Amino acid sequence: MKIFLLLVLFSGIGFLLIDNLRFLSNSGFSLGAATHYYVTQGFEQTGALNLVSSILYDFRAFDSLGESTVIFAAVSGIVSLLSRKTLPVSSHGLSIIVKRIFGILTPFLFVSGIYLILHGHLSPGGGFQGGVILGTISIVFCIVYGSSFDYTRYSPQSKTILEVSGALLFLAMGIIGIFLEGFFLANWFSSPERLGKLLTPGSIFGINLGVGIKIGAGLSIIFYSIIQKRIEGK
Amino acid sequence: MTLIEYFLLVFLFGAALSALFSRENLTSIISLSIFSTISAVLYLLYRAPDVALAQIVIGAGLYTAIFISAISQIRTDRQKNRPEDPLQ
Amino acid sequence: MNQLFFLSLFLLGFIGMLLNRNLIKLIIGFEIMEASVLLWFISFTNQGGNPPIYLLDKPGMVLNDPLPQALALTAIVIAASNIALFLTLVIELSRYHKASDVDKIKGLRD
Repeated sequence: MKIFLLLVLFSGIGFLLIDNLRFLSNSGFSLGAATHYYVTQGFEQTGALNLVSSILYDFRAFDSLGESTVIFAAVSGIVSLLSRKTLPVSSHGLSIIVKRIFGILTPFLFVSGIYLILHGHLSPGGGFQGGVILGTISIVFCIVYGSSFDYTRYSPQSKTILEVSGALLFLAMGIIGIFLEGFFLANWFSSPERLGKLLTPGSIFGINLGVGIKIGAGLSIIFYSIIQKRIEGK
Repeated sequence: MTLIEYFLLVFLFGAALSALFSRENLTSIISLSIFSTISAVLYLLYRAPDVALAQIVIGAGLYTAIFISAISQIRTDRQKNRPEDPLQ
Repeated sequence: MNQLFFLSLFLLGFIGMLLNRNLIKLIIGFEIMEASVLLWFISFTNQGGNPPIYLLDKPGMVLNDPLPQALALTAIVIAASNIALFLTLVIELSRYHKASDVDKIKGLRD
């Protein structure tokens, strides 16, 4: 009975939504005014061939700064909620075959993450995706080699330093924009002959690097603070 | 709308049903990972490669690890009655 | 047709959040609602062009709308940190109440 009433209610809500959102039908090719500007002018003004990253890190860089702040707040909330005298859960990991094969495979994973970060303005990818790949490497370390492997080699303080340095790199790019162009987070790209090269002048390259380092370290901190377990009576 | 899109949409709905209404926690987490993978393929069909990369790395890699480590930490009532539990 | 499908997926996630009593399933319902909204958003702004990456040797190409893709990328990464925070709260709650079920957590009722 309750489920029947819920279904009636939801079919009503669905009918209202699909009736009000009918103007969103995709008939014909049309772009909005802001999008028309981004598509036609974006690559010449920012020096980034990937228009998504030119929007994320140049036109709407304040959004990315706010997003980094949200992730920083989430990391600090999780660490402060789960902070007590903890020790890592001891496990010995998987068998020797998996350990050796993953040892061969790790540099390739690392190179793919770094490639996605550095080529964020030329090809699909960017700071977010590459950073998540770098964070996933330390998660797979925990699964394959046991949970004390990563914890004893790289202390949580070094990950905190990495995260803070990524955020500071982002802010430094914004402040350099003040001195060169006159406003915060301005892009100082001014040489169209280097369009499409890897090392372009401008802030998109540095912001990609900072966001990648920050996201990778932050997700690794989140995972390792969830997985720790309290050892009572010691 | 091609044929493969309909095919993927039906599988997406099935994965969502299995993730929401299965009995075991682990089954629903694996179904959520399948849901994320199918939606990443859909993003690729809709010509959004950046979003597809983010969705497949976060949805299939990070969510599975975080959810499984969380359900191994959650203590329920059944754990309290276990005789070999050293905490009691 | 496409939009109707994603709308029903959104409502399925909502029904799952209302009917389930397990907190883990509630978080999964939230994730399904978020993913269906983003899929809807991307699918109706796909206008049959190329991916929004400019190629230097083909200057006159028709490109898709890059703005909703940037917004969806931001939303996905924020949802990941949201879900990690949710799971942390569930772990803390189960440490005091010894349950992850809404009906068994006594402090929420009286």
